[in-house]
Amino acid sequence: MDLSDQVKKMMEEDEPDDDADSFEKISEAFICCICLDLLYKPIVLACGHMSCFWCVQRSMSGLRESHCPICRQPYQHFPMICKMLHFLLFKIYPASYKRRQTQILEYEKEKGSFSPQFDDPAFILETEKKLPRLSSAQESTVSEYDLLSHPSSSSKDQILLNVAPSESGSIIEENAGPNLQIAAEDVESTILSVDEEKKLQQRISSVNCHQISVCDVLCTLCKELLFRPIVLNCGHAYCESCIALPTNEMIRCHVCQIKHPGKAPKVCLELDDFLEEQLPIEYAKRRTSFQLKQDHLQQESSTTCSSEDAPESVYLPPSSAENLLSWWGDHKVHVGAGCDGCGMYPIIGDRHKCKECVEGRNYDLCGECYATGSKLPGRFNQQHTPEHTFEIMRPNSIRNIMLRLLRGQLEDTSAAPNPSPDTTENQHSSLSSDAQEAAGGGPATNDSVNQGCENERLVKCWAESNEPWRSEPSHDCSFCISPRQIEYWMGMGLG
Amino acid sequence: MSGGIARGRLAEERKAWRKNHPHGFVARPETLADGSVNLMTWHCTIPGKTGTDWEGGNYPLTLHFSDDYPSKPPKCKFPPGFFHPNVYPSGTVCLSILNEDSGWRPAITVKQILVGIQDLLDQPNPADPAQTEGYHLFIQDAVEYKKKVRQQAKQYPPLIA
Repeated sequence: MDLSDQVKKMMEEDEPDDDADSFEKISEAFICCICLDLLYKPIVLACGHMSCFWCVQRSMSGLRESHCPICRQPYQHFPMICKMLHFLLFKIYPASYKRRQTQILEYEKEKGSFSPQFDDPAFILETEKKLPRLSSAQESTVSEYDLLSHPSSSSKDQILLNVAPSESGSIIEENAGPNLQIAAEDVESTILSVDEEKKLQQRISSVNCHQISVCDVLCTLCKELLFRPIVLNCGHAYCESCIALPTNEMIRCHVCQIKHPGKAPKVCLELDDFLEEQLPIEYAKRRTSFQLKQDHLQQESSTTCSSEDAPESVYLPPSSAENLLSWWGDHKVHVGAGCDGCGMYPIIGDRHKCKECVEGRNYDLCGECYATGSKLPGRFNQQHTPEHTFEIMRPNSIRNIMLRLLRGQLEDTSAAPNPSPDTTENQHSSLSSDAQEAAGGGPATNDSVNQGCENERLVKCWAESNEPWRSEPSHDCSFCISPRQIEYWMGMGLG
Repeated sequence: MSGGIARGRLAEERKAWRKNHPHGFVARPETLADGSVNLMTWHCTIPGKTGTDWEGGNYPLTLHFSDDYPSKPPKCKFPPGFFHPNVYPSGTVCLSILNEDSGWRPAITVKQILVGIQDLLDQPNPADPAQTEGYHLFIQDAVEYKKKVRQQAKQYPPLIA
């Protein structure tokens, strides 16, 4: 106790307190593991883990299959936003969610690329009605930099701003009451001990409990409270038991009729726990009825376990350039291009690019989505319409370049200097020590076998390098293709 | 000043660290000459575990984050010439969880990285050597290895508060 106090004191002397930038205590379940902030436009991956739209998009690989940021389970399709969760989070944490909206919009403007906009009138109206001054003040004054450099002052302003509209009285919503209370409490909580803060947190979560109701978290199919929820690639949420496992068929969403690639998704345990905690009576009812049904069917429930229970890193990802190429195989891989229909990223097979979409991002469809005439809007809010015409694209030249490099067909490689063994450090530990020796040592020769080996190393330089993707390689390797060059070849950013 | 996610995440990491962090560890973003904070570089201290030869040492470690963090792991560096089988001569730490293609996951926090490296200090991985001296002594001469480690611990005494 004394020790922690001391540490706390030391930290306070160290820098100003930038905590409590929001008066809503956000449940751990809804903290994005990538940005460590409240989930915004949440996506649920097939392994049941949640992350923000942009966080997922940015963590995906444009070169090959991607891995869940939490459990590393591989996936190939960029799922759609789970609207149910989106509106749920907005309802539970209106101010924080609005803050995230402003923050992300700024990011999108800077990037020139936008996430899907939901023009649900309730969402917009409620937002504007409830937080009129907050939103305008935030847009004009609070930039990300401000938040970082003057944290304490801006957070105080925010609390004041949040309180103000409620005091004016005319626009109080039902749930503005508890918020006001929380705001006042939160100011105090900065001087409360840790224990008391925990208690406070519990109280606040019980306040939230009154805000959500069963109708916010219904299964798309049975229209009852979600029980062991799973979310399909299209973003629609179902009870695990409502998605009957078709024997050899793909799962298809009952609402949008979109096929779900791969096997049935795993239960989103974070959401499941949250529902059980927030709606205990209703949840227990669902559990009982589910068990009754199970007894009737005399059938074992499908075994889905969360990856959190499973041993870590069951999947060993390919760790070298050769594996990348074997993953690509003989398929046509469109590096850095994703299908706006099913979300496949990168597109494998045919790629059809819209000739008329003029947004910063292309509107692309994979062969199958093109054939089935996907009517979906773009994943990045492109204003695509079914009347637009398409052209078929050839795969980016990057793969060919890599293949040529690997096969030692690129000109002038024999003339390039042999890098010193020290440069292998940048390939980091993905190489075994044997591989490092093989890659680093030996003078350059014109022997074709050695040449192949040498070229393999080059590809690794960028494919396996631990260096930031967009920066130039820090080591002095004249073989290395700089990532910038690759982006130039591809004619598009990977990010 | 783009790379919004990297900076936002690091600001959150900073908050989480200040709320709670393992005893004896230090982690703070670099302060530049003009007084501004550079979130992309963190100066950290890892204490050697008690009961091991590393005890008593407070090892300085620098984390370099890129704009692609947390999609890509940070680069973690001890001072150049740091004695450990899995630390490159430049000081860069070789550890599976810090490798984008084997163990890195964006969900790994700064706290987990530092604790992971603390574990690595006393449990080197002979399958993945990164320096000759540390590796050979570890494999061939346990007594001399121990001596070296203890010497190094004295080289990094705890900072007087």
